[in-house]
Amino acid sequence: MIRSNAQDSFERIFRKAARTRLTRQPEDTCHISTAAEAGTLNGEDALILTISSIAFRLLLVLRFDDSDATRAYFTGEGTGRSFEEARLEIGNLCCGALNQELLQVFPDLGMSTPYVVSARCLPYLHVLKPGYVAAYAVTINDTVRVDATVCVCAHAPLDFVADVSDGVESGGELELF
Amino acid sequence: MGSIVLAVMTGGLVAGVLMWLIRQRKVNAMARTLGDADRRIADLSADLGRQAARVETGMHEVAALETTVAQMRDAAADHLEVIEQLRTELQSATAAKEQWASRAGQIAEEAARLRGLALTFERWHEQMISLMEQNHDMHAKNQELQSIVRHVVIVSLNASIEAARAGTAGRGFAVVASEVRALAARSEELSKSYRNSLHLNDLTTTATFQDIQAGGKMITASLSSVEALASQFQHQLH
Repeated sequence: MIRSNAQDSFERIFRKAARTRLTRQPEDTCHISTAAEAGTLNGEDALILTISSIAFRLLLVLRFDDSDATRAYFTGEGTGRSFEEARLEIGNLCCGALNQELLQVFPDLGMSTPYVVSARCLPYLHVLKPGYVAAYAVTINDTVRVDATVCVCAHAPLDFVADVSDGVESGGELELF
Repeated sequence: MGSIVLAVMTGGLVAGVLMWLIRQRKVNAMARTLGDADRRIADLSADLGRQAARVETGMHEVAALETTVAQMRDAAADHLEVIEQLRTELQSATAAKEQWASRAGQIAEEAARLRGLALTFERWHEQMISLMEQNHDMHAKNQELQSIVRHVVIVSLNASIEAARAGTAGRGFAVVASEVRALAARSEELSKSYRNSLHLNDLTTTATFQDIQAGGKMITASLSSVEALASQFQHQLH
């Protein structure tokens, strides 16, 4: 059972990670709203990453809108990287930020590499018997859209309060894998 | 004659007086010597008294010192006993320390050995990748199957139309075309269901694979911590 303190902590941790890692520049605006159901975006793919601990596992699912604005934002100008590569890197950074915050509470954690699946897999998240699922719609600079789902499956009662500071952090380090 | 006697008597008297005087002087001298002796005796007695007092004080002091020495001897014996006990404890502590150091070394070695589990996780990783590739292959085949089924539906529709055109002669053919269309519809349903199962399978496989991968990293990191702590402990003990 995931208690309300823990659910609130997961939400605050995700919001901070999204604000600091999904945006490319600190001055970019980032609006995060809760979404009952994701699925209004273009694109067939979803990116999945997992953080595992002894008592729970957390799946972060990211869907990047397959639009010109979103593609241009994440690939950047003159970087030469593809949208697919950019998605993997951004997803890795975002999940790495979640992992970093959770490490303050849970000393034993491990993070997976990102994996791309079809977005049609997402309606089956319930099969994993999650204790907590939260869907978010992230809008950056009013045009760039990313849907995110945080899904936590706990095997034991989970109750913690994360101390998430609101300070803007410097550029994140790449999570090595 | 008388004068001679008188002279002798006078001489004797003078001699007697002289002798008396001499004796008297001797007596006086002896009396003085005796007085001196008495004074010396008195001085010596007084000195003896003082010496006796000192001796008595010294004896008291000696007795006190003997008591102190006895006490110190007892204390020394107690201390020796404590030292012996401490030596025994030190020996057992040293033995225990060596044992702990040895065990810390064993734990460090064991943790280092178990970090080799990373290879096992890599193997699972490869197998999971292979499984995901098979899923992708099944998706492709299912799409091909769906394409065929759609084609069959179109063919069966055409067959029904042709059978209708043939009139009575085509009645039997129309039944067959209808059956084929019904089979194609069932195949399409089955294919959709199969596609959904594949998506479900993709999700559970991916989630399981990532859980194994992340769990493996968690275990490897924890073992590294155990190894570092055990090595640190071992170094502190040595």
